[in-house]
Amino acid sequence: MNIANLKRVSSITLLSMLLIIVILVATGTGAMHMSPMQVLAILLGKTGIHLPVAYEENMPGVLWMIRLPRVVLSVLIGAGLGLAGASLQGLFRNPLADPGLIGVSSGASMAAVVMIIVQNALPVFQHAPILNYYALNMAAFAGAVITTLVIFHVARTGGQAVISTLLLAGIAVRALCESVVGLMTYLANNEQLRSISFWSLGSLGGASWQTVGGVAPFILIPLIMLPRLAPALNLMALGEREAMHSGVRIPRLKALLVVLATMAVAAGVAVAGIIGFIGLIVPHMVRQFTGPDYRSLIPGAALSGAVLLTVADLLSRTIVAPAELPVGIITAIIGAPFFLWLIIKEKRTILA
Amino acid sequence: MTNHMRIRVMIVSFAACLLVVLNVSAQQRIVSLNGAVTEIVCALGFERSLVGVDVTSTYPAAMKEVTKVGHNRNISAEPVLALQPDLILATDNFIQASVIDQFKAVGVKTVQMKQEFSVAGTKKLITDVAAALNVPEKGAALIRQLDKEQKTLHVKAQPKKVLFIYARGAGTMMVAGKETPLDKIISLAGAQNAANGFNDFKPLTPEALVTANPDVILMFEDGLKSMGGVDGLLKVQGVAQTNAGKQKKVITMDGQLLTGFGPRVIQAVQELSVKLN
Repeated sequence: MNIANLKRVSSITLLSMLLIIVILVATGTGAMHMSPMQVLAILLGKTGIHLPVAYEENMPGVLWMIRLPRVVLSVLIGAGLGLAGASLQGLFRNPLADPGLIGVSSGASMAAVVMIIVQNALPVFQHAPILNYYALNMAAFAGAVITTLVIFHVARTGGQAVISTLLLAGIAVRALCESVVGLMTYLANNEQLRSISFWSLGSLGGASWQTVGGVAPFILIPLIMLPRLAPALNLMALGEREAMHSGVRIPRLKALLVVLATMAVAAGVAVAGIIGFIGLIVPHMVRQFTGPDYRSLIPGAALSGAVLLTVADLLSRTIVAPAELPVGIITAIIGAPFFLWLIIKEKRTILA
Repeated sequence: MTNHMRIRVMIVSFAACLLVVLNVSAQQRIVSLNGAVTEIVCALGFERSLVGVDVTSTYPAAMKEVTKVGHNRNISAEPVLALQPDLILATDNFIQASVIDQFKAVGVKTVQMKQEFSVAGTKKLITDVAAALNVPEKGAALIRQLDKEQKTLHVKAQPKKVLFIYARGAGTMMVAGKETPLDKIISLAGAQNAANGFNDFKPLTPEALVTANPDVILMFEDGLKSMGGVDGLLKVQGVAQTNAGKQKKVITMDGQLLTGFGPRVIQAVQELSVKLN
């Protein structure tokens, strides 16, 4: 095993261990106090192993039905955002790319906000309460996917998307989406306004095993597929033409990257709202440790995204308990200063 | 009876006593997520069973000592469940459906009631809360008391236009339109809502204020305080141009009393109607 490989494996192992620790801490912490032993006893109890640890009657319910799905959901969504961020930075060959660039979040928020406003007016929803319940998630998901497809389609010339056109199309469509959100905000009543602001700040509060089940496939497929594209992304980093000469099928690669990244982000956005900054800063953070090799960057970004969002959600539900802070605020508060610090640091190394 | 048997009988009867005690103490931990529901729970004699309430539960005064589980529009499940409740009472107008589902998933008895802002709605709410607490007869008694109060209530119809302004400092000012508890209580007190062109709450604009031209401005006590009193309110654009502003006719009431539509609803109507005269 050469040194690069060794470094890759060790950083992935380190991040995996960190994720496990974070999951254990997050599962054990919350409004209802449980000791690590109690958590262990309850979880093992589910598999039929009974430890001689006493716990209160309603602890298993809270742990199993509320806290655990929430932690699992934050791991999944964080991983999805990190994954998408790293792969899109590869696609755009630009470290400032994030899932927002291809319109995922703006499309999702537009559709969700429109749904918030029209939901009460549409008779369909009054007759089918179940539909009503999931309408927002489905709309957000559809909005994210459709917007991305529109941007990708606009940018396509002669069978493949030109990156600079993709960026421009992204800017235009995002501006359009944002103005629709603005219009809807204007039309909204008090209650709807509250839902809109709540949604656009992101929250993992409603997590259940059902939402976990709904999100999981959309993140697991990119999680398996994207690392396979890493060698091609490494070649892309040299330049599109160079990559093409090395046998990379560029149009196919671009399409796959956009589809997989959209999948990874859209499902998360649909159930948790807009969670900013993870897709942008996580790949940077990871690059500090692993270097620019996408073979370690992509899995590393997935793991770090999971760690970061789980920590952010833990903070969101404990800082101002019994109330909850929207998790999007926390990721931005942690993310923005960190990002600044990275920029300053990088500037120094360039000058030195 | 042998000694052996006697011990056995004792053990069995002790266990039976324990069971009874446990059964009685079941439903002794209640969380209420609505101010009016909290008032009803207390009026039905379950004040000591309340282990958690939302921030709108400000009455009776003892509620200050009870753990607050957050704002009623932003309740999350775990802090509520951490109080180990056997019964969660909520109304259907604020709390997110997913949070109610989480309560139910954990298996805590959760009763969600409809709240209508009328005297009949209050009586229905009392019936529902009493049913949830398994004391229907106490609920009926409370309703009879409300009926009695209602008979002694004298409200004089008056052609005054009343505008309710919700304020949290000069930056946040909203007026109450139709279909709000304020609209309902203003008409119960015999006056009319000056803002009747829209439903729900709307941000206050100076022109709309002058157009509505209220005779009286109604506010929460702490709302007026946040504006710096009547003088502060008069500085808000448009206020001085209204009839109410010209005559400095600003009245205030306690927020929960005015908008709660709980067991004190008749008292609230009476107080508002007196203040309007």
